[in-house]
Amino acid sequence: MERERSDWDRVVKTLQWAIAGVFVLFVGGLIIWIIHLIRTAWRLGDVPSASVGISLVAIPVFLVLLGVVLYVFWGLLAHQREE
Amino acid sequence: MADHKDVHEDILLAPIAQTGPGFYWAVAGLAVFILWGAIAYAVQFHQGLGVTGLQQPVSWGFYVTNFVFFIGISHAGTLISAILRLSKAEWRRPITRMAEVITCMVLFIGAGQILIDLGRPDRMLNVIRYGRYQSPLLWDATSISAYLTASVVYLYLPMIPDIAVLRDRLKKRKLFYSVLALGWTGTEHQQRILNRAIAIMAVLVIPIAVSVHTVVSFVFSMTLQPMWHSTIFGPYFVVGAIFSGIAALIVAMIVFRKAYGFEPYLKPIHFRYLGQLLLIMALLWFYFTFAEYLTGYYGAEPEEMKVFWAKFTGPFWPFFWGMVLCNFIIPLSCLVRLSRRTIGKVLAASLSVTVGMWLERFIIVVPTLSFPRVPFPEGVYSPSWVEWGLMAGSFALFALFYLLFTKLFPIISIWEIQEGREVGLKEVEERLLTYLPDEAEGKIFEASGGR
Repeated sequence: MERERSDWDRVVKTLQWAIAGVFVLFVGGLIIWIIHLIRTAWRLGDVPSASVGISLVAIPVFLVLLGVVLYVFWGLLAHQREE
Repeated sequence: MADHKDVHEDILLAPIAQTGPGFYWAVAGLAVFILWGAIAYAVQFHQGLGVTGLQQPVSWGFYVTNFVFFIGISHAGTLISAILRLSKAEWRRPITRMAEVITCMVLFIGAGQILIDLGRPDRMLNVIRYGRYQSPLLWDATSISAYLTASVVYLYLPMIPDIAVLRDRLKKRKLFYSVLALGWTGTEHQQRILNRAIAIMAVLVIPIAVSVHTVVSFVFSMTLQPMWHSTIFGPYFVVGAIFSGIAALIVAMIVFRKAYGFEPYLKPIHFRYLGQLLLIMALLWFYFTFAEYLTGYYGAEPEEMKVFWAKFTGPFWPFFWGMVLCNFIIPLSCLVRLSRRTIGKVLAASLSVTVGMWLERFIIVVPTLSFPRVPFPEGVYSPSWVEWGLMAGSFALFALFYLLFTKLFPIISIWEIQEGREVGLKEVEERLLTYLPDEAEGKIFEASGGR
């Protein structure tokens, strides 16, 4: 019974961290995409300032979103482990 | 107190625990429209955009109209919920979740319209590989991605305590709820973390939401097309978006109030407040519309005037005057006096605004393209059955997603209602006292003879 419970907990915990991981990948992917667009604009000499300007707003927004999500996941899950 | 809590949980969990025949009938009804949309899309995918009414010079029609309309509706949720949460409006408690769900669902449907409009969805990959930030279309893609991400997070975080209730009380989908509950037990530490995160998100989503519709307007206003090249398009679009968002929220509230027996939670007072908000937005919308058209008319630039008269007295007059009727005259007449039959009047106004705002989006997109500035021949746009099918399918898909959500999660926040009863009442009293002058100050004033 005890073992079943710990197996269940492990599966749940793994899936929870997997969700956090997917979110990190998602935001990371978006940031890489934005950087790719800056690089393309730079390479083509195609108004790179526009790309840089927009990414200066967009990248921090995505990073803040990532920070909030990780803060909640870490705060709730790590604290649960401590308990 | 515990009994009280259980009764509330039972009522709010009932739609998830039991499913009546009404649900299956609703799903079947929506499935018919979704099937029509699916067939229409299959035909378009197979034969190309030639099966639609889109042609030169009118290359944007129903799909772009729907895109702007759905993105506008998305302001229902996150923005209204965040503003009410930050301003500590206590009446928000049964409303916020419904509003936030609308945002997430319509953003998916809205973004999907662009994929449909592309004709070949694989061309989306070109945007990813060769996109250029010179183009406002890409600004749109970026801001909508940010808004969608923020809205999903903002929907999910306040749901965590309720998901924990589902995990503990329901016997089905145990793994699903356990994973999403993130081990929530309601400790002080957990509450502190969650409240902090929700507060950050509430502040963050407001500028993101405003920026999204501003950027949607840039797609039009950054061109030199007649009646698109306008500096007030940004705020005009944002006002329209909040206007249509409130209307959509009211319709959703009334439907689920009736369907799930939520009368004790969604009271006439909620509809009165939202009705007043809708009235203010109707006036604001009229002001922006008036300013926009007066500026064009006063300038009397020939190309602008062609589009202007096409809307006022030309081929688009039914849409234009229909928009004025639905967005201003009907809401005004319904909402001016809300003392009796509040819900009926607010519903009538909201349905009218929903139709009116769709017409407004249509009136912005199509007439300008029909009378372009460049020397193209003028064109007439007549949507085909494919576009009608995809439009019906999109609306039905949104309704289906919403319905399915209510079968998985409580559509009214359980913990926020509970918190309102246990903590909110006391908090409001304390807060009210801080707004008023101290008694001691009053006495000093009296003693000084009012000097």
